[in-house]
Amino acid sequence: MTEGVVFDLGWRPHDGPRFGRSGARRALYKDGLRRVLGLRRRARSKVLPFTLMAIALLPALFFVAFGVIAGEFDPAATLFGHSEYFDLTGALVLIFTALACSELLIPDRVHGTLAVYASRPLTTGDYVAMRTASLATVVFGFLWLPHLVLFLGRAWVNGFASYLGDNWEVLWETALGSAVYFAAYAPLGFVVAAFSRRTSLAAGVYLGVITISSAAARGLLEAGFDFIGLFAFQHHPGYVKDWIMDSSTHRWIPADAGFDASVSLLMIIVVAVLSGVVVLARQRRAA
Amino acid sequence: MDTAPIIAVTDLRFAYGDIVAIDGVSLEIPPGRIGLVGANGAGKTTLLKILLGVLPAASGRVEVLGHRVATEQLEVRSRVGWMPESACLPPDQTAADFLGYAAELGGLPVRAARQRASDVLGLVGLHEERFRYIREFSTGMKQRTKLAQAIVHDPSLVLLDEPTAGLDPEGREEMLDLVTRLQDFGINAVISSHVLTDIERTCDWVIMLDGGKVLRSSPLTDLSTTDEVELEVIGDIEAVANRARAMGATVEVLGTVLHLRAPDGDAFEISRDAVADSDVSLRRLGARRTTLEDVFMGEEPA
Repeated sequence: MTEGVVFDLGWRPHDGPRFGRSGARRALYKDGLRRVLGLRRRARSKVLPFTLMAIALLPALFFVAFGVIAGEFDPAATLFGHSEYFDLTGALVLIFTALACSELLIPDRVHGTLAVYASRPLTTGDYVAMRTASLATVVFGFLWLPHLVLFLGRAWVNGFASYLGDNWEVLWETALGSAVYFAAYAPLGFVVAAFSRRTSLAAGVYLGVITISSAAARGLLEAGFDFIGLFAFQHHPGYVKDWIMDSSTHRWIPADAGFDASVSLLMIIVVAVLSGVVVLARQRRAA
Repeated sequence: MDTAPIIAVTDLRFAYGDIVAIDGVSLEIPPGRIGLVGANGAGKTTLLKILLGVLPAASGRVEVLGHRVATEQLEVRSRVGWMPESACLPPDQTAADFLGYAAELGGLPVRAARQRASDVLGLVGLHEERFRYIREFSTGMKQRTKLAQAIVHDPSLVLLDEPTAGLDPEGREEMLDLVTRLQDFGINAVISSHVLTDIERTCDWVIMLDGGKVLRSSPLTDLSTTDEVELEVIGDIEAVANRARAMGATVEVLGTVLHLRAPDGDAFEISRDAVADSDVSLRRLGARRTTLEDVFMGEEPA
């Protein structure tokens, strides 16, 4: 039985502009955004990302609403400030990153779509860079948007000009903190995804590695192996964030092991670079 | 009409470890529909991947559409489409979304990409199904979507790797019709297949590969046209053969069919006279046409 009718509509060659590599990279970036958020896909693809983002944003919206109704914005009444807010969003973004990294790399490889990229003006480096940029955009928004909402809410209640003048540094500090969380969490997520064939399994393995590494590091640290503090991957971004925001919200394992926050930052950068090399090599083989 | 070669390959070599896949291939391929035939493992897919720059040539020079693949890979890729033999479609996207995306990846502006996605899906017979998820498509629909993604960005050359693989007879016919029409769209095509009849049906130039070497690269008409006459008679065929031999022809008898070649005369005239002198009835007479399979099975490496 025939499955469709071939209509002879003629052929119109494309005689308009061609954007070449830059257009291809832009398309790849937009596709990454859609893939991470489940847009233009079945409804169930949207459930987890949007639920996690809603959970991250809701406390900020609640505090702002409470402040507006009360007519004042007492930082003590918000339960926690900007630095502590990362404790909530940091945990959520770990789950989000686990899912998103898998979603960005695995389907293209498993379904053979890398062959389509191979016939377009793109390099493997472009592919990895644009996938990373897509995730960075969403994760940064995920982490920073609640801070922006809190900031604007407080500015609204307390007087915009004076609040902005006294607290403007919060904006770049929280932005920098958000970027650190992304740099700490995403590279390992990409490494796990680059070697997996199932998205759910990759997300589970990634979450296991991150959380177990911290628990194991805590145990080994107490047994006297101080250098193991460098492998508490879940604790590096929080430690660096506290350093940036001049706060102290937790007992961070690298700190207990005697390492400065700058060492944690260095560790994040080293892991990110190594992960980038591994993912690039793996994607080149897969292509 | 531009007759400059669309592909020029000089002394190309490629190996997977110790296994030589392409062994000193040199080719100049004119515009049109080019058939790439060979048995499994002959090096067809490897050659296509080298043309696309997916696999790097170990040695030799490869030019596609006037660009060196080794140094201008992205220029080549922006004007080439690729339909791989294996699956390449994301099941969780609709055909329209994926085709639009594939066109954007080819460098087309967003609006043009969407328009072309719709046009091309209509062209391959999937207009009604364009908003269905690809996971719901049959094998035939997926093959047509694969072809659509290969041409949606309006390439100058499309590389088709086993385009009829897995299709039922009707789907195969439709696919071959689409492939045949590519030249009308100004799209040159290299069609890799081990189904020789598909190549005979769609192509005007054929490249035969075996063991990583080129057996032959020539127009298909050169293969199918011979200087032999084929005649079928009712009666004593040996008498006809002997009479033709006496007139200086070289003759081969195959049942009731006779292949006749006349190095020093007109094969048709000798056939006519031999039949007239032998008191037999003529059933069929014509120039002998060889199939691609005849040529391929009898070909020796160059």
